[in-house]
Amino acid sequence: MSVTGIPILDNLYPATMDMWPIEAKEFNRSWPFYENLKQGRFTTTKCKDCGNVSYPPRVICPQCYSENLEFTDLPKKGKVVVFSEEVKGVPLGFESPLIHAVVDLGVDPVKRLLTRIINCPAGTLKRGDEVQLAVFDIPAMPIEKGRAGTIMAERVFFAFEPVKK
Amino acid sequence: MSRNAVMLGGGQCKWGVREAHLVDLFQEAAKACLDDIPGLKPSDIDGLIVATSYAGRCSFQVNTAPVIAERLGLKPTSICTRCDTLCAGGSTGIILAKGLVESGNADMVMVTGGEKLYTPQKWEVFYSELASVDHDWDGVHGMGLPPPFFALTAQEHFMHYGSKKEDLAAVSVANYNYASDNPMAQMQKKLTLEEAMAAPTVVPPLTLYDCCPITDGAAACIITTDEIAKRFSNRPFVYLRGTAQVCLNSVSANFPGAHLADWKHTRIAAEKAYARAKVSPGDVKVAQTHDCFTISEVIEVEELGFCKKGAGGEFCGSKQIEVGGKVPVNTDGGLLAVGHPFGATGIRQGIEIMKQLQGRARHQVKDADIGLTHNLSGANAEHTIVIYGREPVK
Repeated sequence: MSVTGIPILDNLYPATMDMWPIEAKEFNRSWPFYENLKQGRFTTTKCKDCGNVSYPPRVICPQCYSENLEFTDLPKKGKVVVFSEEVKGVPLGFESPLIHAVVDLGVDPVKRLLTRIINCPAGTLKRGDEVQLAVFDIPAMPIEKGRAGTIMAERVFFAFEPVKK
Repeated sequence: MSRNAVMLGGGQCKWGVREAHLVDLFQEAAKACLDDIPGLKPSDIDGLIVATSYAGRCSFQVNTAPVIAERLGLKPTSICTRCDTLCAGGSTGIILAKGLVESGNADMVMVTGGEKLYTPQKWEVFYSELASVDHDWDGVHGMGLPPPFFALTAQEHFMHYGSKKEDLAAVSVANYNYASDNPMAQMQKKLTLEEAMAAPTVVPPLTLYDCCPITDGAAACIITTDEIAKRFSNRPFVYLRGTAQVCLNSVSANFPGAHLADWKHTRIAAEKAYARAKVSPGDVKVAQTHDCFTISEVIEVEELGFCKKGAGGEFCGSKQIEVGGKVPVNTDGGLLAVGHPFGATGIRQGIEIMKQLQGRARHQVKDADIGLTHNLSGANAEHTIVIYGREPVK
């Protein structure tokens, strides 16, 4: 049996039930991370005062509390240290196989990045395999802009994928 | 004269898939708590701490403490608040209550915790669990549902220390058997090693009995001072000797150990709690550790100092966690078999330690005088320890 939605929410968009981040600059000061992703860049923030690079991106430096930060590029290729593969019972929002891996991108603070591996058939990944950044589109989010009406904020997100040999 | 915090009594409701509302579960737990302390009336209680994490998401209710106070007939005058540290919420409430009663800012605090996780459509609880880790950086990768994270942890423990699937299965067997005669437990059946080894796969190497279930439930306890407790109970006092809560990271990329099976934050929490309680790991006669997954208990017995680092698999596999072993662990069945309604778990653990130290536990450890509870929460982001004893710290 199909289930109808909640009648009073017809034609409304409950952003609190959207599984992806609210990325738009109207709601998120780390929006350049997502804009950089759209250009195929994997970035985070670096402190221009003390040099500290932290992941995920922030609006203050966690070491010296400076607000003088800039986005810096992180490596986009790394090696699988260890991975898990879920074939049955994958939760809503994800496709089987749901693969998670600790990926070594070679530099701090991403020497052990836990991420999702996509574009990879079940049973084919091995420890030590090379993987690379994979950026994909996710549904746009409607944002009310007063008299200007509602705009659709385009969004992308990322995972990693095996490098074809 | 110094004030020393004790746990006066406590109780829990039946845990499992419950046909009840969140506020019903809190009422059942409060009744069980007061039934454990004959003579204590709701009007004797001046403070309330409510530990719940998913009330906002699953019951459409924030600012939970006044709601629960009213349902329980309490009129708090010292503290009335909610705390949310997910799996450690109950233990956090106990730590806060200790500070309040020892400082003289409260006399008699009820610490209660509970969750109603099963919603009319089951997808919603799994979907909402994306919020249990850093949502935008781990949750969106599907790390909110914890089996993949702990599967990676188990693989790294196998790789670095040579533990094996049989060691994990030994933890399931011990904890299920402890819960088999616990009427409040979600799982009440004995389990054999063969059954545990043959269970269906969740995420390799984790199989069904390696993972705690999703649970509705609540628990409540009373924290007061020994002087006040004398008026209500003839049982031995159970003192809150020392506590610690350590957070070094939240996002999984910043995990503080050399690998996922190296729990530096647990070690720091243990050192701090043992020092404050003026005891050493060898003094602990019984422990309730956070067995959200079997691999967690294997690593916890190491990092808490019950055995050498890396020897947790052998420790659990050789029955050292059973009554008669070196340190019996999760003697009421733990998260694996009693279940895990996040905010309630630390309180359930504290109640079991209280009963052990008062000589009235179902699986009694002989001459138990020092006991410990431990929780981890989030993507292994925070560790919380409470050490209980028959004597106050001198």
